[in-house]
Amino acid sequence: MSNYLFLVEDPLQQTYDAIVVGSGATGGWAAKQLAEAGLKVALLEAGRAVTPKEFTEHMPAYKLKYRDHSPEIVRTRPIQKQCYACMEYNYEWFVNDLENPYSTPAGKPFTWQRLRILGGRSMVWGRQSYRMSDNDLKAASRDGYGDDWPLSYADLAPYYDIVENYVGISGAAEGNEMLPDGKFLPPMKMSCGEIRLRERVKAKFGYTVTIGRTAILTQNHKGRLQCHYCGPCERGCSTFSYFSSPFTTVKDALASGNCTLITNAVVSQVNMDNAQNKASGVTYVDRLTRQVKEVRGKTVILCAQALESTRILLNSSTREYPSGLANSSGALGHYLMDHVVGGGASGRLADFKVLPDANEPARPNGIYIPRFRNTPTSGKHPRFIRGYGFQGGAGADFNFDAEGYGASFKKAVKEGVYSISMGAFGESLARWDNYCEIDRGLKDAWGIPALRISMTHGDNERALMEDASATAAEMLEAAGAKDIKVQANVEMPGMAIHELGTARMGTDPKKSVLNPYNQAHDVKNLFVMDGASFVSSACQNPTLSMMAITVRACDHLIDRFHKTDV
Amino acid sequence: MKRREMIRASLFAGAAAAVRPPLSAAQSTAMPSELTPAQSGVDASKDLSAPGWKPLFLDEHQNETLIILSDLIIPATDTPGAKEALVNRYIDLVLAAESSEAQRSFLNSLGYLDGESIRRYRAAFRYLKREEQDDLLHALAYPRTASGWSGEADATPDMGHAHFEALKQRIATAYYNSQIGTKELGWDGAFAHGPYEGCTHPEGNHK
Repeated sequence: MSNYLFLVEDPLQQTYDAIVVGSGATGGWAAKQLAEAGLKVALLEAGRAVTPKEFTEHMPAYKLKYRDHSPEIVRTRPIQKQCYACMEYNYEWFVNDLENPYSTPAGKPFTWQRLRILGGRSMVWGRQSYRMSDNDLKAASRDGYGDDWPLSYADLAPYYDIVENYVGISGAAEGNEMLPDGKFLPPMKMSCGEIRLRERVKAKFGYTVTIGRTAILTQNHKGRLQCHYCGPCERGCSTFSYFSSPFTTVKDALASGNCTLITNAVVSQVNMDNAQNKASGVTYVDRLTRQVKEVRGKTVILCAQALESTRILLNSSTREYPSGLANSSGALGHYLMDHVVGGGASGRLADFKVLPDANEPARPNGIYIPRFRNTPTSGKHPRFIRGYGFQGGAGADFNFDAEGYGASFKKAVKEGVYSISMGAFGESLARWDNYCEIDRGLKDAWGIPALRISMTHGDNERALMEDASATAAEMLEAAGAKDIKVQANVEMPGMAIHELGTARMGTDPKKSVLNPYNQAHDVKNLFVMDGASFVSSACQNPTLSMMAITVRACDHLIDRFHKTDV
Repeated sequence: MKRREMIRASLFAGAAAAVRPPLSAAQSTAMPSELTPAQSGVDASKDLSAPGWKPLFLDEHQNETLIILSDLIIPATDTPGAKEALVNRYIDLVLAAESSEAQRSFLNSLGYLDGESIRRYRAAFRYLKREEQDDLLHALAYPRTASGWSGEADATPDMGHAHFEALKQRIATAYYNSQIGTKELGWDGAFAHGPYEGCTHPEGNHK
């Protein structure tokens, strides 16, 4: 047995410089940044650790009992099952809905899709990575709705650089005013249909169609291997080609020697030293033994995911903060956002005679059309504010929907169909009446009071999706698509799995929970570094921005910590 | 190892679990119950070909009907069809684990087939001649088109076609996700075929 084990103290007997709650995309970054700066960090994760041995991306469906169509998942994961990535291969990575309840008011469904495992949702995320611009961060000044962010693109840009350089984002620079370019690895290639769409959309509308900017390596990068195009990233990646925190940021944090990882730690509350108005640590319930334990720290950083971080604060009320910790503003829990989805179109490019090929490299990425509504050059749209971006793709696939039966059906399946489709992600406006609160009558399996989530999409979101469906159809038509089918739904909130807000940042402590450095206005050594801090949702996939905001906040925290000013 | 040493060793193992990187074998990870069978490396591909197989959900008549139907929908050609792929056994397995609503819906569709068969030929589907089975399926396989006279879509739902599609979808899903079906689609068994080359056509000349 090596010597250093004898030096290890009981992880619960010391006072850490920082306690990071959650090991996902942002928690991993916080642990890495702080531990590498020399702070003693405890990283708490509610789930278990994960190893590459359990990755299943190279297992064919026929080896599974139900060939990846398991009717059993729904028994323990009726909500998680609504996520495309929760499948027979990996459903154990997703929370058991029976153990992790939440409630919603009648007529206001909300789907909350979560993982409790080292790395959290970074294990299965969609990996699309887009910067926000000042058109997003300062949108309120332009159209009068809501609030500006208390930071600008210039504040964030250096941190986007840091995150992109480390994570490895493949993409193409486009010089688009709505979607700042980043530090990209070589872009993935487009299919014929996508290139035609790009050419025709540019010619007819003047809009940009670009390859998805994705956190997947197109060349070897910092000890991780380039993508081998097997396809199903959400089942794990044996070459670590997509970014997930356990094999990158968390690994670095632990390698620094300054980070102690505590798995199976279901945090129930932040503890306070009321005399000093400072957080003193957190209480957690051991997921397996149900024992209640405490970790002490000089700072507490919540990276548990927007709704979970806010739930912890709401469950941490004290006499001084009766409506939730650090909630003197009353804003905690409010301004919940999730991108609106459900508008789009699909069709066939009938003139492409390409046979589907089961052995074609499977590109785990699509195309992206940056927002083109309500831009500085487009002018104001008459029916809605803000806008949406499209994600989609085109290619030959087997035609399982072919008509008829018998030998002709079998043949038609293999002749395939060249399909093209686009779906919109629209901005979700920050509204006070979209909120979460503690449901006093509901607890999870660890006895921790659960959330009641109340959210609906409004008229603006509906108008966005209507416009998106009509516009998608026009674009597909321009690309020469036939049999165009439009979709103009507004799916239930949560379906985009981009929950944001509920502990928004701002300069005014009366209107916001956090300052521009993700530090609670009310409690100086308490931080929330995840999507909860978002002031507006923009329409871009948020994880890249969440990571950049976290690194920026950590820089600030390290600086303050060394000046003993937290 | 003496008892005291064992206690010591287990204490240190616990301490190690708290500090070692996640890639290390020392890290406490999943209990077997927290891995999916796939994540535990279970290969279930031979489960259904056991010699003593018996249906879990279907009765004998339903099972025989399903075998004949699947063989008509995806027959053996120069490649094996649904019957060889044991599609009936897979569908039975899935049905056994499904909700009673889904089970009822499936049996309704299968029952509709027999009902139509008896109405037209006075015998259940499985007892018809191959040509009769084919005629019956042909009548159900294609949706009724809108009335050309009024120019309006037929308001009555095309039940026969809907039942046919429900059965066909089950059979196609079962077949194309089987080992035989995966081979039918031409998969060579390898996972890495990268990198993705995309379009190689000159500008404006995609096909």
